[in-house]
Amino acid sequence: MLTNYTISIFTMNTVGLLNRITIIFTRRRVNIESLTVSETERKGVSRFTIVIKQENREFVEKLVRQIRKVTDVLAVFGYLDDEIVFNEIGLFKIATPLGGIPVDVKTINLDWNAKIVHFGLDYVVVEKNGSEEEIQEFYTYLKKWEILEYVKSGRVAVGKTEKGLVEFLPEEGNWEIV
Amino acid sequence: MGQTQTQTEAANQPGQKKFLSGAQAIMQSLVEQGVDTIFGYPGGAIMPTYDALYDYQDRLKHILVRHEQGAGHAAQGYARMLNKAGVCMVTSGPGATNLITPIADAMLDSTPLVCIVGQVKGNLLGTDAFQECDLIGISMPVTKWNYQVLDANEIPEIMAKAFYIAETGRPGPVLIDITRTAQTDLMTVPFEYKPCTSIISYKPRVEPKAEHVEAAAKLINSAKRPYILAGHGILISGAEKELNDFVDKTGIPVATTLLGMSAMDADHPLYVGWPGMHGNYGANVLTNSCDVLIAIGMRFDDRITGDLSTYAKQAKVVHIEIDPSEVDKNVKADAPVVGDAKAALQALLPLVNKADHSEWRAEFKKYDDEEYEKITKKDLFHEGDKIKMGEAVNLLSNKTKGEAVVVTDVGQHQMITNRYYRFKKRNSIVTSGGAGTMGFALPAAFGAKVAVPEREVVAVIGDGGFQMTLQELGTIAQSGLPVKIIILNNNFLGMVRQWQQLFFENRYSFVELQNPDFITIAKGFGIAGHTVSDRAELSDSLDTLLNSDKPYLLEIVCEKEENVFPMVPAGGCVTSIRLE
Ligand SMILES: Cc1ncc(C[n+]2csc(CCOP(=O)(O)OP(=O)(O)O)c2C)c(N)n1
Ligand SMILES: [Mg+2]
Repeated sequence: MLTNYTISIFTMNTVGLLNRITIIFTRRRVNIESLTVSETERKGVSRFTIVIKQENREFVEKLVRQIRKVTDVLAVFGYLDDEIVFNEIGLFKIATPLGGIPVDVKTINLDWNAKIVHFGLDYVVVEKNGSEEEIQEFYTYLKKWEILEYVKSGRVAVGKTEKGLVEFLPEEGNWEIV
Repeated sequence: MGQTQTQTEAANQPGQKKFLSGAQAIMQSLVEQGVDTIFGYPGGAIMPTYDALYDYQDRLKHILVRHEQGAGHAAQGYARMLNKAGVCMVTSGPGATNLITPIADAMLDSTPLVCIVGQVKGNLLGTDAFQECDLIGISMPVTKWNYQVLDANEIPEIMAKAFYIAETGRPGPVLIDITRTAQTDLMTVPFEYKPCTSIISYKPRVEPKAEHVEAAAKLINSAKRPYILAGHGILISGAEKELNDFVDKTGIPVATTLLGMSAMDADHPLYVGWPGMHGNYGANVLTNSCDVLIAIGMRFDDRITGDLSTYAKQAKVVHIEIDPSEVDKNVKADAPVVGDAKAALQALLPLVNKADHSEWRAEFKKYDDEEYEKITKKDLFHEGDKIKMGEAVNLLSNKTKGEAVVVTDVGQHQMITNRYYRFKKRNSIVTSGGAGTMGFALPAAFGAKVAVPEREVVAVIGDGGFQMTLQELGTIAQSGLPVKIIILNNNFLGMVRQWQQLFFENRYSFVELQNPDFITIAKGFGIAGHTVSDRAELSDSLDTLLNSDKPYLLEIVCEKEENVFPMVPAGGCVTSIRLE
C-alpha cells in the first residue's frame, strides 16, 4: 500500500541545494508529489517540505539518511500523516458571466470554509485551504461553474511534537530568530 | 609578473594596503593548507591562476599531465598513498568535463580530491559563453560538495572548507568552480587563511557511541564462528595496527575487500583472502556459515554480496562504518557502530575476549586447499607455452617481497593481481573498485609515485586499459620518476571476453584488439621497455623492470583466453561460486 511520507529538511540557505536534494530522489526513481521551500523562523535556515508516496518504510529511512549526508543539510525528518499538521492552498478562478449562476458566497464561506479573495469583472478567485482531499471535494462542488484556472500549492507541515525547530539544529549554532 | 610578486609579498606584510588577487589567494590558500603538489592542465578560464602559479613554483609543485582525466587519477593515486586530498586544477568546459570520470571514481572509492576548476567570467554565466559548462550541475551527483566562487574575497574560506570536507568523515571529491572574474579581481580585505575545523551542518562522527561499542563487543564475544570483513576504511583511518591487535586477541579470521587489501599481512595466519566476485573460495562460501559477521569500514558492495536475499542471512552483523547512510543500506546491522574504524577498534579492543576459534579457522583452510588444487596450482605452475597472468604476478610478488605499491587497472589482470600479489606492507594497493574505471592505473601509479617516491610503485595494466590513458607516459617521462609499468597483454578485453564466453555462449562481440607495438610507443615517449613472451625469460625481464632507475615498461604477452576463477556469477549467491 502506498503511504504518504512528508520529509522535512532543514538546511543552510545555499545556492544549488534544491538540485542536490532532488537528485537524491530522481536517482532512485522516487516521484516527488509536492515540494515547497521557505525560510524558517531561524535566520539562514531554510525548510524543504517534500511529499512522496512509498510502500516501504525502510526505503524512506534510507532516503532520509542519504539526504542527511548532504553537507549543507542540518536535520531531516520523515513523517507519517498522523505525526504532522499539514495543509495546502487551492486557488480557483471561476467564470461569472452575466446571466450565469451567481456564486454562492455564503455556502462557500460557511459550508466550505473557503473565501473569495478577488472579484474580477466576470470572474472571481476563490481560495480554499485544507488537505488535498478537502480541496479536491471543493473542486467537485465548484464544477457547476466554469473553472478557468485551478492551482494548488504543495504541502506545508509542522510536526506534532512539543519541540521547536531550534532543538533539532546543531547546538553550537547561533540560531537567531528572524 | 614583477608586479604580482610585489602584491603577494605586500599582502603578507601587515599595514600594507595592497590586496591579493583571487588567483593569488588560491595559491596562497594552497600553500597555507600545506599542499605541495598540483596535478593540472591550463586553459583560458584558469589562466589567471596559472599566472599566479608562476610566482609560486618554489612552494607548489605543479605537474602538467597530458589529459585532465590523468590529472584526476594521478591526484587519486597521490591521495590514496598519503590519505590527504589530491589537488587538481583545470580549465572550464572540456577541461572540467574531462575530470568527471576521476571525480566519479573518487566518490565511489572515498578518495579525497580538491578540484579547482576555472569558469567563464561572472557576467557571462548562463550565456553559453565560450567553454562555459555548468560544472556545478554536472558534478553535483559525483561530488561530496561543490561550490561556485564569484567573489575573490570568498576564496580562502571556501578553499579551507573544501579541504576539510574532502578529507574528513568519509573522504570524497570536492569541486570548486571559480569564475575568471573571481580570479582576476583583487580582494577587498586582507588575505587570511584559517583552516576549517568544523562546519555546522556537517558533523562526521569519529568517536563511536559507547553503548554501540558495548553491544558490538557483546555480539563478538558470544560468537562461535565470527568472521571479519575489513575494508578500505582500515586503510583510510590508518587502523592496520588496531586491526592486527584486535585479530591477534580474538583469533577471528579476516578477509579484506578489494580496496582493503594490504590492511593485513597476506601471510598472517588469520588472513583468509578476499570476498567477492573473484575473491577466494572459503572467504565467499563461509560468509554463509559464520554466526557473527564483523564488517569494518566497508559498504557491502554488490560485487561482494551477490544476491542480498541469500547473503549471510544466518549471521548477526556488526557494522563499523563512518558513513551512517551505509549502515543498513544493503545488509541490516544487528550492532551498528557509526564511527571511524580506528577509533572503533581501539574502543572495542579492551571489551573483547581472548579466543582461539581454531576449529572454525580450519574450515577456511579446507576451502583454501581445494582452491589451490583446482585453480592456484594451475595458474602458477602452468605448463603450456604461454605465460599466465598469475605466474607473472606471483613472480612480481616474490621479487618485490610483497612490499611494492601495486596499482592496477580494471579487468582480468586486476583480479589476478589481487589474487596473487601477497601484500606485506600496509596501504599498498591502489585500484579502481567502485567505478571500475579502465585507464585508471597509469596516471594513478604516477600520482602514487609522486606521493611516495621512496617506494617501488608498479602499475599492472591490461592491453585495453593501457590504451585509454597511455598519453600519461609523457607526464611520467617528463617527471623522470621511475614508475614501473607492466602490461599483461592478452590481446583481448579479457574480462568482457570471459563473460561472453561464460554467459553469452561464446559470442565474442567486439573484444579482440589489434594492438600497437607498445614498446615503440613507450620509446616514442622516451621510456625504455621490452616485451617478454617466453616463460624462460620472465624472471630476468622482471629484474630488468625492477632494477631500472628510470620509468620502464614491460609488456608480458599472456595466454589469450585465460579465465579468472573463482567466480561468483553477478547477482548470484556467494555459495554458488564457480571454480571452473
Ligand atoms: C572506461 C571503461 N570502459 C569499459 C569498461 C568495461 N570493461 C571492464 S573490464 C574490460 C576489459 C579490460 O581489458 P584489458 O584492459 O585488456 O584487461 P584484461 O581484462 O584483458 O586483463 C572492459 C572493457 C570499464 N570497466 N571501464
Ligand atoms: Mg586484455
